[in-house]
Amino acid sequence: MANKRNATTIVAILAVVVLLLWRPTVIIYGLQAAGLYATIAIPMGLILGIVHIVNLAHGEFMMLAAYATYMLCQSLGIDPYLAMIPVAIVTSAFGFLVYKLTIRQALKAPELNQLILTFGLGIAITQTMNLFFTSQTRKMSFGYVSASIDIGELSFGVYNFVFVGFAILMVIGLRLYLTKTTAGKAALAVGQNPKGAAIVGIDVDKTYGSVFAIATALVGMMGAVFITRSAVFPTVGSPFTMKSFCLVAMAGIGNIPGILGASVLLGISENFLKAFRSLRGWSDIVFFVLIITVILGRSIKGKKA
Amino acid sequence: MKKALAILVIVTMAVSAFAMGGKDGAAAAAGEPATIKLGGTWPLGDITGKQGSMAAQQAVDEINAAGGINGHKLELIVIDDEMKADKGASAFEKLITVDKVDMLIGGMASGVALGQIPVLKKYNKVYLATGAASFKVEEALGADANWYFHLHPWDYNQGASYAEGWAAIQEKYPEIQIKKLFLAYEEGAFGKASYDATKVLFGADDRYIIDGAPFKSAALGGGDYAAVLKAAKDFQPDLFLWAGWEADALPLLEQSKAMKFNPGIYLGAPPGWPADFGASSLANNVMLYGMWAPSINDISPVSKKFYDGFVAKFGIEPATYFAPLSYSAVYIAADAIKRAGSTDTEALIKALAATNYDSPLGQTVTFTPSNIIKHQGVKNQKILQWQNGRQEVIWPFDAATAKPVYPFPAW
Repeated sequence: MANKRNATTIVAILAVVVLLLWRPTVIIYGLQAAGLYATIAIPMGLILGIVHIVNLAHGEFMMLAAYATYMLCQSLGIDPYLAMIPVAIVTSAFGFLVYKLTIRQALKAPELNQLILTFGLGIAITQTMNLFFTSQTRKMSFGYVSASIDIGELSFGVYNFVFVGFAILMVIGLRLYLTKTTAGKAALAVGQNPKGAAIVGIDVDKTYGSVFAIATALVGMMGAVFITRSAVFPTVGSPFTMKSFCLVAMAGIGNIPGILGASVLLGISENFLKAFRSLRGWSDIVFFVLIITVILGRSIKGKKA
Repeated sequence: MKKALAILVIVTMAVSAFAMGGKDGAAAAAGEPATIKLGGTWPLGDITGKQGSMAAQQAVDEINAAGGINGHKLELIVIDDEMKADKGASAFEKLITVDKVDMLIGGMASGVALGQIPVLKKYNKVYLATGAASFKVEEALGADANWYFHLHPWDYNQGASYAEGWAAIQEKYPEIQIKKLFLAYEEGAFGKASYDATKVLFGADDRYIIDGAPFKSAALGGGDYAAVLKAAKDFQPDLFLWAGWEADALPLLEQSKAMKFNPGIYLGAPPGWPADFGASSLANNVMLYGMWAPSINDISPVSKKFYDGFVAKFGIEPATYFAPLSYSAVYIAADAIKRAGSTDTEALIKALAATNYDSPLGQTVTFTPSNIIKHQGVKNQKILQWQNGRQEVIWPFDAATAKPVYPFPAW
């Protein structure tokens, strides 16, 4: 087993070295994309791992945070990084409210009902924002987003590496929270066995509420950072819901570091295809191929075991 | 108890309906002229469509405030087509059969227009279309649709006017020379059609060398332009054109700057621009295609009247040219009804065909044949440039509000 893992690591390192020498942009842009995917998907993985609900309004929460940041930055003239904390607090409070008023009521309902509920929430949020802000996109421009590095003849943007940093911080922070704090340990216990956790005196509902609030706070923070690189409009979050869900499915329920790994695999695979003009159109399909391969592989492995 | 309540509700509804009918009847009996009804569909969830309907209402209000049409009040009935073909078709069916409108106006997306054509052919109702650029709509209409008046240029009209415009600009400003053209296009139907049209129109006589590559628009979950910009940078184009959505506008510029990609002309062709795009320093000297900009107020009193009225009425600026286009549609319809002296189909077609309207677009609108249909209004787009936060018209020269700034400044 250990030999197999070592061999995989060596092959991966060799592949990275070859790509860095042959097509460095695959690694550079692949990691940048992976950082973005992971930072958005990790909060969804936290909710799915502990509350056991697929939040199909996930991207819409991020969109709300992006709008809140935009309004705050426009009215106070501040940078999104300064707005990040207040926006995270507001998004967290909103997430907690949504949990208490809606999701909590559907926890014991069939999974399809839960999906329909969060899907409906997503549509309601999108349409409400469309009503107030119209479909016109909004984008603030920041000089630091265009920061770049020249290596030989290659000039590339480095700003998107901040998402890699945020993703790593999220993984470490959540790991510390879940393993070193009482609330985190309780959340882990509830995620593994809610009935057992309730028997030993853990308030399951309170734990679910706090996990939902933490996850939406993280989404809120990412919504704030997201507007530095992207435009904001009512449907901006929807594609990220699907991508996040697929990454969480690839990583396996409750496997937060695995989301980071899945994001790296996806980001590099996509950018590998983008590096070749004739293959560029296939970069979206690689996403589904990877998901099917990973889930199928896991199922076959499970059957053999 | 429930039965009594049900009877009460039915009686109340019947009385209300009678009272409403009685009111109309009383008006007719009193000899008041009937209202002339215009019916329109726009996608109201989209800012372009929403503002199109708002501008049309603005024109209706202005006409009514000035006494209406030959003493008749004008009424606009708007239905949201939700940018869906089936909704657009059923909206037209309702406007024609239930609301009994005298004429149809509006519209935006070509896909919706294709869905509406069977209804139009069924009733032959006179329609003044403000949208639908795809030549497929014209093909579906056929040469017999003499009740169809198309204000917006067809896609091939637009392409031809760009080619004409760039040729004229290069002739007038010899320092601007374009040989290599790169088109970055969003991978959907809109972008692909733009690329195909560009290859045909600019590549026809080997005057230009053309290359292009697709990208996934931020509007559809994309937003990473590194691959397409790398291809463009390697090609070293004189003119870099991107055809995508407004969500791509600033991120493309930011990534171009990061990759130190500096074409001589940086041109965007989205249907609209993000709010406050002009406020970004990156936007300065970006060129664009369009039909109208607030700067046309400087050369056209009609444009100024439209713009001032729109801002006063709604408290916001028109975001795209669909607002002045829809505003124009109502004035053109009202003028034709006035000249025809009735809303009879044949009289209306004849009057519309003789339109000569000084529009807020900075040009006079007349209807002449296009490739298939008989009544095509505007046939050209304009070439504009963002200069100090304003969209200035560069070409056609008779509507120009500024000279082009060339080359696009290095980052």
